[in-house]
Amino acid sequence: MRALLCVLLLLVAPLVRAVDYPPVLPGRTIELPADSGAHPDFRTEWWYVTGWIKDETGAERGFQITFFRVRSGIGEDAPGRFSPAQLILAHAAVADAKHGRLLHAQRSARASGALAGAARDRTHAWVGNWRLEEADGSYVAEANGQDFAYRLELTPTQPAMLNGDKGFSQKAPDPANASYYYSRPQLAVRGTLSIDGREHAVSGKAWLDQEWSSEYMPAGASGWDWIGVNLDDGGALMAFRMHDRTGDALWSAGTLRDAMGRDRALDREAVSFTPLRRWRSPRTNVEYVVAWRVRAGDRELELRPLMDDQELDSRRSTGAIYWEGAVRVFEGGREVGRGYLEMTGYAQRLEM
Amino acid sequence: MRRALAPVFLGSLGARRLTTLLSILAIALGIALGVAVQVIHDAALDEFDHGMRTLSGEADLQIVGPRGGFDDALFETVALRPEVAAASPLLEVDARLFGDERSLRLIGVDVFRLGEVQPALMPQPGEGQGRLVTLTPDSVFLSPGAMQALGLALGGTLTLQAGLEPLALKVAGGVPGMAGQQVAVMDIDAVQRHFGLRGRLSRIDLRLREGLGLAAGREALAPLMPAGVQLLAPETARAQAAGLSRSYRVNLTMLAVIALVTGGFLVFSTQALSVVRRRTEFAFLRAIGLARGELMRWLLAEGAIVGVVGGLAGVALGYGLAAAALKLLGGDLGAGYFAGISPRLAFEPAVAAVFLVLGVLAGMAGAWLPAREAAEVSPALALKAGGDATGLAGARRHPGWAVGAAALAAVACLAPAWQGIPVGGYVAVALLLAAGVFVLPQLAANLSALLAPLRAVPIALARARLAAVPGHVVVAGAGVLASAALAVAMAIMVASFRDSVDDWLARILPAELYVRGARAGSSGYFDAAAQARIAGTPGVARADFIRHDTVRLSADHPPVMLIARSLSPDGRELPLVGRQVKTSSPVWISEAVADLFGYAPGDTLRLPLAGSPHDFVVAGVWRDYARQSGAIMIPIERYRALSGDPLANDAALHLADGETASAVAARLRERFGAQTLELAQAGEIRAVSLRIFDRTFAVTYLLEAVAVVIGLFGVAASFAALAAARRREFGMLRHIGLTRRQVGLMLATEGALTAGAGALGGLAVGGAISLVLIEVVNRQSFHWSMDIRIPFASLAIFCLTLVLLAALAAVLAGRQAMRQEAVMAVKEDW
Amino acid sequence: MLELSQLTRRFGGPGGRTVLDRVDLRLEAGEYVAIVGESGVGKSTLLNLVAGLDRPDGGTVKLSGTDLSTLDDDGLTRWRRDRLGFVFQAFHVLPHLTLAQNVALPLWLQGQQDASSMRAASEMLAAVGLAGREAGWPRELSGGELQRVAIARALVHKPRLVLADEPTGNLDPHRAGQVLALLRERVRAAGAIGILVTHSHEAAATADRVLRLTGDALVPVTNTQ
Repeated sequence: MRALLCVLLLLVAPLVRAVDYPPVLPGRTIELPADSGAHPDFRTEWWYVTGWIKDETGAERGFQITFFRVRSGIGEDAPGRFSPAQLILAHAAVADAKHGRLLHAQRSARASGALAGAARDRTHAWVGNWRLEEADGSYVAEANGQDFAYRLELTPTQPAMLNGDKGFSQKAPDPANASYYYSRPQLAVRGTLSIDGREHAVSGKAWLDQEWSSEYMPAGASGWDWIGVNLDDGGALMAFRMHDRTGDALWSAGTLRDAMGRDRALDREAVSFTPLRRWRSPRTNVEYVVAWRVRAGDRELELRPLMDDQELDSRRSTGAIYWEGAVRVFEGGREVGRGYLEMTGYAQRLEM
Repeated sequence: MRRALAPVFLGSLGARRLTTLLSILAIALGIALGVAVQVIHDAALDEFDHGMRTLSGEADLQIVGPRGGFDDALFETVALRPEVAAASPLLEVDARLFGDERSLRLIGVDVFRLGEVQPALMPQPGEGQGRLVTLTPDSVFLSPGAMQALGLALGGTLTLQAGLEPLALKVAGGVPGMAGQQVAVMDIDAVQRHFGLRGRLSRIDLRLREGLGLAAGREALAPLMPAGVQLLAPETARAQAAGLSRSYRVNLTMLAVIALVTGGFLVFSTQALSVVRRRTEFAFLRAIGLARGELMRWLLAEGAIVGVVGGLAGVALGYGLAAAALKLLGGDLGAGYFAGISPRLAFEPAVAAVFLVLGVLAGMAGAWLPAREAAEVSPALALKAGGDATGLAGARRHPGWAVGAAALAAVACLAPAWQGIPVGGYVAVALLLAAGVFVLPQLAANLSALLAPLRAVPIALARARLAAVPGHVVVAGAGVLASAALAVAMAIMVASFRDSVDDWLARILPAELYVRGARAGSSGYFDAAAQARIAGTPGVARADFIRHDTVRLSADHPPVMLIARSLSPDGRELPLVGRQVKTSSPVWISEAVADLFGYAPGDTLRLPLAGSPHDFVVAGVWRDYARQSGAIMIPIERYRALSGDPLANDAALHLADGETASAVAARLRERFGAQTLELAQAGEIRAVSLRIFDRTFAVTYLLEAVAVVIGLFGVAASFAALAAARRREFGMLRHIGLTRRQVGLMLATEGALTAGAGALGGLAVGGAISLVLIEVVNRQSFHWSMDIRIPFASLAIFCLTLVLLAALAAVLAGRQAMRQEAVMAVKEDW
Repeated sequence: MLELSQLTRRFGGPGGRTVLDRVDLRLEAGEYVAIVGESGVGKSTLLNLVAGLDRPDGGTVKLSGTDLSTLDDDGLTRWRRDRLGFVFQAFHVLPHLTLAQNVALPLWLQGQQDASSMRAASEMLAAVGLAGREAGWPRELSGGELQRVAIARALVHKPRLVLADEPTGNLDPHRAGQVLALLRERVRAAGAIGILVTHSHEAAATADRVLRLTGDALVPVTNTQ
């Protein structure tokens, strides 16, 4: 879904030279809960939830919900009710092995009153009746589409994890390409999921990212690969790499939380992604690496997908094609955790 | 029926080729006009309806307000309702091209909300343009039709007038879903921003939650609507738009039907006379065994054949006319109902069939009386009497019936309109025509009595014949009466209408010079600064500003025009009609508002202004020929106080003494730039309006001419037929010593008396019909009154010409018979 | 057999003029009679009554046992169509039909609309001396020829009774003689009853019997010539 945003950024870019977006600078520390609200001056921001849930029959599914805020730079002077200055885009998906592909839905609107928006004071983003809202220390995520609907309560079991340098997350050799970025791993999930005409009580574990920036993608990058993993021992791993057109890494980084809850920032050398197995989409003919070996500091993990086809083809709406899905994580042949993998920039060249 | 008998009867049609042809022609003309009117309007309505349907997309309900729009806060309230699955806000502007008379329908949309409700309006960015270019305020997207009409391509610049300023927009893409329409699409925020419409919406289209009925959805949402804002099903909005032109269409169709009826009269004339001529033939056929019913059926079949052939020719001719008229006059026959669409003609079997049936009915109706008469004749008597044209049974004098028909007509006039169509009025017209026919013999007798002092033998003979055979008067005169009545009625109505419009224009345009920003809901307007500059232009003694908007008084009616202008407390500037009431919060309603909504002076009228209701008192009713759905006048000071809307659309400028309109106009152009203002002198507006009026009535003149020609056909045909039948009579007259000239004089007298009776009857009936047209048909169709004016001189000339032409036709028709050798004619059967 | 008994006809309502007063007549098949009388004595009235074109004020007309007073207008029409043939003084040959069509008309009225009707018309035209003129038009014929066509038409459907009302009134004496001879020959050939109404003694002389109508009786006339 970050890929969707990428396309949007690309589109907005030539139009918005007139607006000055604040730069993302090192040395600013993310303060929570103050920073959990929106930062509307920055060009883009997202709240991004992924996780695994199990229903009363034991069936396991992946889910994802994302709210994007985009400052378009259009119509900021004398704004009216329909001003497109701030846009809210939301995307939700369910990965169900029984369906063999992703079920997904999306909503987008101009930020305007109760119709759509992102609050400044706390995590609260909404479009129509979709929302991600924090209250009394836990979050509620609500979304619905043609094929599914869910309402999930996400309760933190650990403190937030500030990525990079106390939240300053560099994306490229040039520190100008950076974001403010924190994660909330190990969220306990409880709620209901309606799918295939039935309502299920579900529970599981999830991951929340909040990230805001003005210049995200480095020049020469074509896309990125990202993982967020909740380890069974209570630890967590976030790792990403920027790649060029050929798929070679331009930059990589990560954060590893151990079972004791100690966080360690992983630099470029400490993170590497090695392809293990590829899958070609019959729809788009794009090839993805659906099984990876990821080295993160002293850990060496193997990612295997819930199912191969977790590709999202939104050429007809936004034009983006990417792979985003639930993965199982193995270490030494033993399952050690669950998480989400995102791969972008394989279908088309994303130029900045 | 024995088909083998066909040659006996249909052969007779062939034998009197000329009269048969004339009958066919008359019916064909009536049918052609009817088909043309119908087909043209169907084509226009189809295209119009298609456009409306494309625009409303998949909406279940539409929220519509006045043309000036409604508060956009309503959108949030509505969009978040659980009954609503999807909502899409629209803001429509009639955008004037800068420095150009033309305007373009500009629709502000929210691209994030279009997809589920009106996918057809989705703008498509051109090659190399990002998707979010649809949000930028200087981008516009044009439908293929608009691109073509404006001669613009992707990347071109469209310059519109916003307020009084030019607004340059880049053509950033197309609106492929709106093929066939001329529209421009922009971001809704940009439209609000550029055209001074911040905070306004003109429409919200809704899709209801699946499974929720329309009625339930409407019931849940209706309480949320502010005053003056309505929830409509898209069909209602379409029907209201189409309903506007319906009255006009029905009126034209009825005129065509009257032409058809005249054609029926002609069939009657020729059939009646042909039956007279063939009396002995029928008597003989009856004698050798043709049953009465069969004779009647065959004679009706003769009429039906004339009807079928005339009908087929008429349908073909009608499509030809329609194609020509669409090219020359446009889809509304010049009346201005459908602008900006280009209708295509399509063959409609149903319409063709209906008119074909009408043609057959006209033919059969015309043949009915003669057929019945022929069937009732005693064969023994007819065989003995030989072939003289005595005693037309259907032609006894019926003054009582005439009075009865006239009385029924008066009653029919009292009936209210049915679905906006003045059915009662049309019934009255038909009854009046019938009354005229019934009274014809009496009229002829009275006319004939006037000639009593003239002792010349031919005139005495003519009088004697009319007295002996009053049926002949009906046969020959009915067509004249019908066509004269139609022509007279239309002449009086059009003269009254034109005079009244002329007077009205004088009243409604008191100032010398008019300045127009643009129409209501449109992109041009005068803000306070512009108003001050206009008023301060040297030479302007006083500037009255006018603001146009619409209000919706009920969901069942189209919006009503609201006109705010400076008005005296007694409204003396307006063309008031009827009672007036003194009040401190006056509005003046047009006749249409009084008719459609039932308001009368003294009533309280609740007017929604800026979303809240305000009570006013109806101070009076004024005459308005411009707005068929109604208009309300309100003092502009009060309008501004209540609505907070300081803008104006038009200005009426009273000039200082000694100033000329053209000098002041030049100064205004200098101040504002030549391209921004539309300036017109009162005289010009008046001339243009009357020109439009005349163009609108061009079609009716055509119908009148056709009717008169048909009427004269009737006289000529009936005299030709009679003359042939009376050859023995002429022979005998010549035998006993009348000169050829005297026989001619006799025939001319007969023709003049007949046509005179028809013309007199036509004058009387036409006068009565014109009253019905003015007081019932126009009032109920268009809701306007007019002062009756009778164009005496032209009517007198028209009637005299008709009588002279009829006399000439009679003489020409008789000449053939007179040429026959007198002796031979007698010998043949005496 | 044609049988008139006590046939009475008055005109002008009660107290009006009695034209026929209790007239009796009996004719067998194959008889060909002439009825003569002064103008206005009621010859045409008698003919109209016999043809069912007029209703008597008293008495009956029976043809082959059918009493005409029992038939309504349509019944009479059908009866005439099947049983009667007419020859008129004024010919009444329809100008817009061909000669064959004119002759075939009675057959058409009986519903015989096929080629056989035209064949029969052809034969009849030949029988009256107009062979090969089927496609000709009435306007091309002389008065005598028109009456021949009329005779052909009167007999084409083999009627039981042929009524001829002054059939030679419009013809010169030479032509009249030919037409009368033809009429008698054809009626006989058809075996029908023939009634010739005329005020001409020459014409009457062609009949088997001559009856004089006097108002209250049909008196046999001995041929004094």
